[in-house]
Amino acid sequence: MSSADHMESQGRLSRWVNSIEENGIALILGLMTMVTFINVILRYGFDTGIIWGLEATSFLFAWLVLFGMSYCVKVTAHIGVDALIAYFSPSLRRLVGLLAAAVCLAYAFLLFKGSWDFFANFVGLPGTTGSWFPTGLQTDFVNQTWYEGDDIPMPEFLRFLEPFLNDGEAYEKLPLLVPYMMLPIGVGLLLFRLIQATIRIYTGKANGLIASHEVEDALDDIAAARNEGVK
Amino acid sequence: MEVAILFALIIGLLLLGVPIAIALGFSSMLFLLLLSDTSLASIAQTLFQAMAGHYTLLAIPFFILASSFMSTGGVAKRIIRFSIACVGHFHGGLAIAGVFACMMFAALSGSSPATVVAIGGIVIAGMVKVGYTKEFAAGVICNAGTLGILIPPSIVMVVYASSVDVSVGRMFLAGVIPGLMAGLMLMIAIYVIARVRKMPKGEFAGFGEILASGMEAGWGLFLIVIILGGIYGGIFTPTEAAAVAAVYSFFIATFIYRDMGPLAGKEKSTSFKNLLKNSPKYTLETIVYFIPALFHKDTRRTLFDAGKLTITLLFIIANALILKHVLTDEQIPQQITNAMLAAGLGPVMFLVVVNVILLIGGQFMEPSGLLVIVAPLVFPIAMELGIDPIHLGIIMVVNMEIGMITPPVGLNLFVTSGVAGMPMMSVVRAALPFLGVLFIFLIMVTYIPWLSTFLPNTFMGPEIILR
Repeated sequence: MSSADHMESQGRLSRWVNSIEENGIALILGLMTMVTFINVILRYGFDTGIIWGLEATSFLFAWLVLFGMSYCVKVTAHIGVDALIAYFSPSLRRLVGLLAAAVCLAYAFLLFKGSWDFFANFVGLPGTTGSWFPTGLQTDFVNQTWYEGDDIPMPEFLRFLEPFLNDGEAYEKLPLLVPYMMLPIGVGLLLFRLIQATIRIYTGKANGLIASHEVEDALDDIAAARNEGVK
Repeated sequence: MEVAILFALIIGLLLLGVPIAIALGFSSMLFLLLLSDTSLASIAQTLFQAMAGHYTLLAIPFFILASSFMSTGGVAKRIIRFSIACVGHFHGGLAIAGVFACMMFAALSGSSPATVVAIGGIVIAGMVKVGYTKEFAAGVICNAGTLGILIPPSIVMVVYASSVDVSVGRMFLAGVIPGLMAGLMLMIAIYVIARVRKMPKGEFAGFGEILASGMEAGWGLFLIVIILGGIYGGIFTPTEAAAVAAVYSFFIATFIYRDMGPLAGKEKSTSFKNLLKNSPKYTLETIVYFIPALFHKDTRRTLFDAGKLTITLLFIIANALILKHVLTDEQIPQQITNAMLAAGLGPVMFLVVVNVILLIGGQFMEPSGLLVIVAPLVFPIAMELGIDPIHLGIIMVVNMEIGMITPPVGLNLFVTSGVAGMPMMSVVRAALPFLGVLFIFLIMVTYIPWLSTFLPNTFMGPEIILR
């Protein structure tokens, strides 16, 4: 199913969410390209450069993937192997689909715990204890709210963070909590989209979690065009 | 022993329809939690650093973006017109032109399935129209399409370079001779078949048409000059070259070819002369529409499509890096190296083993993900045996290329069957004779290192191998 028909059956809210997701992905990639390109121009044209360009691009790159991985679950774009399950009967396929979904949920759950544990100390909150399941909260941890990046200067509109995260002291560079924030958000969204996908498989609205290759949409278009021609 | 279980788990999950990325990530997580004292927090950090900490991988989204701008139907059509003008008048001319077009398109895009869709979507129907069988057409395109990952720029090569720390520039340069050779071998095979079966040949349209169509396609093909020239001239890093290529493709697609963006509906210049005559108007329109074009819905759509592809690819690579973490933690590469060397494995046998592993793996797995896993396993052995790292990289790329068209489940076979609208089994049969040709090519590439190492060593000096 392509994302377009998926949307038609949905309400205004999900169209709105969808446009945020799609434009967000486009915007992040656009920014990465612009920053890198402008830096090349500045270096050759003006013998200067944006010093924080590389760091910003690297963080945006991580944001792109972390932010977008949940969207790709929503539109079933993650690549997998359907060589075997394609031959299963629909009922067996549903069963196997649920099993695969369970694995994905376990993955997202573990990763979500890991993301929180990693991120929490950067905003002065306790991570969870326990190696598999969260068994409680850390009582004793090193506060990492003052960790800063290397190059990106502190943007003015984030200064409001200083009183309660940095004891009122000014950040000189962008604190690392900002780029790392996308980790729990992205993985949280991934978990959410995987739960939705599992429900879709359970109710029979979808039959799996994977696309078999990157050009599936393009092939659907070609097949549609061919059927038009036959009619 | 643990490793065998790990790989069995991954393959089992893959066959159940778990996305490749999650199958890799989940299995690795289980192992790290069970066998070491790694915390989930550090695994999450590995995932973040997979993107933020690998400057080389940053080239991938930009190459994908450049090829998305270039993959519009218009560019493929121009390339095909140019190829037909060049080689269409030979026996089997349209088929040879199809291979030539695939080679050129491969130079704009780093992906094999994308090449099959862009070129095959047009050429297969065209070949059937002038009297070729559909099977022959599909077989040709299916094989020639695999050149996408061998002719630079290639995403798979970026992944290899990043995972074993060799230069991307060297890898790209090393792909040139094998890429041209594979294309040439396919063309010769077609020519011979065409002579035997008396296949149709086209009319020679004259040098004027070659020049005119060449000028038209030239705007797109200049991309390869920017990328390779920029890297070897020491002007850009590969990542910068990719970003410049992306911006250049945007500019060409929107303002010169006018296939997309705010100028898509306006009058187009179909020839270079016409374009020169209209250049004041073009310049004016470019300036007026420059800002709107950046935010036009076609631009956003292309950025989004490229972003989506980047995400699925990098999600796999990031999770494969977690697996790599497990393998290095458990010192698996060293163990395998010692076991192999103790068993008296020589370079020839070793390369055969690599061939077999990758041919099988390449059928099931997305090439870049497979490479991230296999490269660190075989690389130390190859170094011990004195195999050139660049040569090893090219062997791996060619193997995966052939894996994509090896029955029963090669990826390109699926895609071609979709593009041509014919059953999978007929595509397999149709692809078989040319698969034979590529097999001979694989053997040549594997045992003649010179093919891969000549250009990089000539242009960039001999390789310094660090252990």
